[in-house]
Amino acid sequence: MAIMRYDGQDKKSGGIKMRQPPANTIARDAIKAWKITSAIFIGVLWLLTIAWFIVTMVFSFLYWYVTIAVIVCLLFTYVFVFLLPKLRWRRWRYEVFDQEIYIQHGILIVSRTLVPMIRVQHVDTKQGPILRKFQLASVTISTAATTHEIPALLETDASDLRDRISTLARVDEDDV
Amino acid sequence: MSKPQRLHPAAIIFNFIRILREGIYAIILGFITFRGVSFMYFILALAVILILLITISILTWYRFTYRIVEDELRIEYGIFVKKKRFISKNRIQSIDLTAGVIHRIFKLVKVEIETAGSGSGAEGSLKAVTLAEGERVRSKLKKTGLEQEEMDMEVEIPPQPSFTVSFKRLFLAGSTSGSVGIILAFFFFGFSQLEQFIPESYYKNTLAWIIGSSITLIIGLGIIVLVLLWLFGIAGTMIKYGNFTITKNDNELFITRGLLEKKQSTIPLSRIQAVGIQESMIRQPLGYVTVFAEVAGGVANKGDDFSTVLFPMMKKAEVNAFLGEILPEYAVQQDEMTALPGRAQKYYVIRALLPLLLPLAAVLYFIPRFFWIPVILMILSWVIGNLRFRAGGYHIADDCLIVRYRTFNKITMIMYHKRIQAFERMQHLMHRKEDLATVKLSIIGVSGSGKHYTLKELAVADADQLADWCSYRD
Repeated sequence: MAIMRYDGQDKKSGGIKMRQPPANTIARDAIKAWKITSAIFIGVLWLLTIAWFIVTMVFSFLYWYVTIAVIVCLLFTYVFVFLLPKLRWRRWRYEVFDQEIYIQHGILIVSRTLVPMIRVQHVDTKQGPILRKFQLASVTISTAATTHEIPALLETDASDLRDRISTLARVDEDDV
Repeated sequence: MSKPQRLHPAAIIFNFIRILREGIYAIILGFITFRGVSFMYFILALAVILILLITISILTWYRFTYRIVEDELRIEYGIFVKKKRFISKNRIQSIDLTAGVIHRIFKLVKVEIETAGSGSGAEGSLKAVTLAEGERVRSKLKKTGLEQEEMDMEVEIPPQPSFTVSFKRLFLAGSTSGSVGIILAFFFFGFSQLEQFIPESYYKNTLAWIIGSSITLIIGLGIIVLVLLWLFGIAGTMIKYGNFTITKNDNELFITRGLLEKKQSTIPLSRIQAVGIQESMIRQPLGYVTVFAEVAGGVANKGDDFSTVLFPMMKKAEVNAFLGEILPEYAVQQDEMTALPGRAQKYYVIRALLPLLLPLAAVLYFIPRFFWIPVILMILSWVIGNLRFRAGGYHIADDCLIVRYRTFNKITMIMYHKRIQAFERMQHLMHRKEDLATVKLSIIGVSGSGKHYTLKELAVADADQLADWCSYRD
């Protein structure tokens, strides 16, 4: 293993390995899958609002509150169905090196993670009904302390990645 | 050796107490419900239940056998359903011997055998065996088995590094323990619950008397209560850490502690993930610290704060000498820390003040008379925010990393590159504009969970420096 020796000289220049984002984006269809998922949740919200609207009509309550609810629903629909999936996709990146896995995600808070390959305990691929519709799968990487997920890769990419990581991670550990 | 053995008959008492403790609420409930007419029946039923419980306790003891066969500990138990548990010697992570008050009357110990499995509670537990038997089991199940026994004889010659906490130090530790506050909270909670049990007239009279008496008396009473609580805190620390001794054998640490309940535990050196130094707010001005370790696997002791205490109370200046003897690779200089940049300060202060804004507004609106309470709290929070900012920092020395932070207590963690499981760097919009980044380091914690250390608002250059240090790429 190569350990960066810190001599205190190049302090202000900072590191280089995390300056660039990871190279690979996840599958483009992830946006559609995410849109459908949030549409389902927002749909429930709409149903509740409609039920409320009917109750308001029947018992002739004030229309004020229900109007606000409709506006909130519209706003949520725009933000969660149309805005966020695209932004999320644009931010999501990953790169697998021989020695480590490099992941970037997060819309407001951008988070970049390094997972050393020799610390990986197991890798899983996972596929729900929505991901299956688009032939996508997500890859979950677990260490003894953390779990990291790369969502929505093409099925073939996901299984290739899983196999690659599991081969690379198959290094004898000195001790735990 | 291969003959199945029973526990000491005193185990019946422990079984009984355990079952009784689980059923005590039902009994109390019954007591309250049947207080009236059917009280006789209740007593009768209680007697029957007690006899039943005693029978179960005896049967549990009778059916519980253990033996050591080759490299395994085999436990068989269960009254109706016979259960067998085999624990392989190679899988055993640690063996603890504990002696509670009842144990000590009979000169017994409890043997707890932990494997790497997750979940709470030890995987194998012998509730009551004689001390000699407990030590025999432990030496038989130790990883190196026979070699170890030979070693024990040789080892007598070179003195093993060993540290014992002095009575004076322990007293000081007790009197500065933060648990005073917790006990205080419990006390008030208990008091508010007590109201229900004291007859109302009596309670009212007392209250009237207290209100009627002079302010000085009330203050006097308050001081007495506080002093009592403080003494309780001292007693608690004394009981928990009395006779604390840590000894280093060749590849493990051996800790004995406890005044009433005696606890012996072994920590294999290879399982130590990081070493921490805690300076609590009260002890910091006195220059005292607590040294602890993060140990992988094992069981989270209830009541403990998940870390293993290596030494409860020592002068800050002595830490390096102590670690030099016990864990030489962790004895590193902790003085030249890379601090947080000045532009990070406002985030720390805002974070400390933010949760108080709403209470402040509420108090100002509803009870403006008491506006000084949130104001004082806000000043305290402001101070704490600044202290947190000042404490934050890191230092890299070859493949060793020192991280320092504060929530209330100032904590310095020393960890090695090979122990780090993941590294994360986080930035939000404001951070990006100001070249700041938050960094999170993960290591293995107890019971298969992770332990995470977050350093907020480092300079981006420093965060990237850390990333490079963590990275395995060439």
